[in-house]
Amino acid sequence: AGSAWVRGLLGWARPERWLVPSSLFPLSCIHTSTSLQKFGKWEKKNRIVYPPQLPGEPRRPAEIYHCRRDIKYSKDKMWYLAKLIKGMSIDQALAQLEFNDKKGAKVIKEVLLEAQEIAVRNHNVEFKSNLHIAESMTGRGRYVKRIRYHGKGMFGIMKIVRCHYFVKLVEGPPPPPEPLKTGFDQAKEYVQQLRSRTLVNTL
Amino acid sequence: LVVVFPPLPRLRTLLQRCWGRLERGLLQGFSGGQSPPWGPALAVQAPAFSPQPAEDTGESNEASSLLDSILWMAAPKKRRTIEVNRCRRRNPQKLIKVKTNIDLCPECGNLKQKHVLCGYCYAKVKAETRLIRMEIRKKEGGPLNAPTVETVVLYDGEKPTEKDEGKRIIERARKRPSWFVQN
Repeated sequence: AGSAWVRGLLGWARPERWLVPSSLFPLSCIHTSTSLQKFGKWEKKNRIVYPPQLPGEPRRPAEIYHCRRDIKYSKDKMWYLAKLIKGMSIDQALAQLEFNDKKGAKVIKEVLLEAQEIAVRNHNVEFKSNLHIAESMTGRGRYVKRIRYHGKGMFGIMKIVRCHYFVKLVEGPPPPPEPLKTGFDQAKEYVQQLRSRTLVNTL
Repeated sequence: LVVVFPPLPRLRTLLQRCWGRLERGLLQGFSGGQSPPWGPALAVQAPAFSPQPAEDTGESNEASSLLDSILWMAAPKKRRTIEVNRCRRRNPQKLIKVKTNIDLCPECGNLKQKHVLCGYCYAKVKAETRLIRMEIRKKEGGPLNAPTVETVVLYDGEKPTEKDEGKRIIERARKRPSWFVQN
C-alpha cells in the first residue's frame, strides 16, 4: 500500500512538466507568469496513476476529468444545464445540449466533445459512446467590478460574472436512475427510526 | 349696633332684571363671534393667515402623501434565507426539461428535432442555392433583369430535354448532387 501511494505520488510529478518555464527559450520570454496557467485541483485529478490491477479484480472504469475556466456566464444559470446533464450518457447529453437555446449549452457541448477526444486519445477508452457523465458542476469564476452609469449622475457597481464548468466522464453505460422515494417509503423509514431508539446512559 | 336692612323685594327684582339683561346682551355679543371687550385676551396670538401658506400646506400635503405612499409600498420584511431561495430555484418547474423529440436524420445521420428540418442538410442546400444564385446574377448582369420564363439548372454533362424548350438554362460546373433530383 505504501509503494502504491508513492507510485501514485510520483505519477503526478512528471519531469517534463518542469521544462515548460520560458527561461529556457529566450525569444518567447515575456509571458512568465501564466505559463500554461496555474493548474487547479480538477486538472490534477487526471494525473493520478493507479497501480496495475491484479488478475482477479474487476476492471476499474476509466475516469476522465475535464473543465473549462472563466466562461463568461453566470454560475447559477450554468447550474441548470449541469443539472440537466448529470447522469446521462454522453450521446444523450450532446443531443439535449444541441437543441437547448441557452448560451452555456454551446460551451458545455464543446467541453464534452473535448473531454471525449481526450478520453479516446489519452485514457485508453475503446468506444467514445461508452461514456457517461458521473459529475458535472459549476463554480464561481473571477468576478470583476465595473461602474454602471445611471441617470442624474448616479452610478451603480456591477459585477462582470464568470464561471467554471467541471465534468467527470466515466466509462460504461449510465447507471440506472434511482427510484423516487414514495411517501410510503418515507413513512416506513420514520417508523423504523422510532423503533430503533434506545435509552441512553442506562444499563 | 348696625342694622342691615335686606334690600326690599322690589329692589331685588329690579337688580335681577338688570343683570339678566346684561347677561343676554353679553351672550348676544358672544354669538357674534367676537370675544367681549373686557373678556380675557389670549396670551398667545394665533398665526395670521395669508395666501402664501395655503400653497405651502398644499405642497406639504403632496409631500406627505408621497411619503405616506412610500410607507405603504411593498418591501421585503425579512431576508430570504438560502434554504428558501434554493427551494424556489431548484423546484422541478424551474429545471430544464429533457426533450424527447430528438431523432436522427436519415440522410446525413446528424441529430434533428422531429418537427424541424435537419440543420446539416439545410446548410448544404443553402450553400448550393447560393452558388446557383451567383450564376443567375452573372447571367442577368444587373437588377430587374429577371426573364419571364422558368429557369432550369443543369450540371456537368447534362443536356436540356424537350421539356426545357423555352426555359432559361443555368449551368453549374459540378456533378449533380444526389439530393437535387432532375425532372
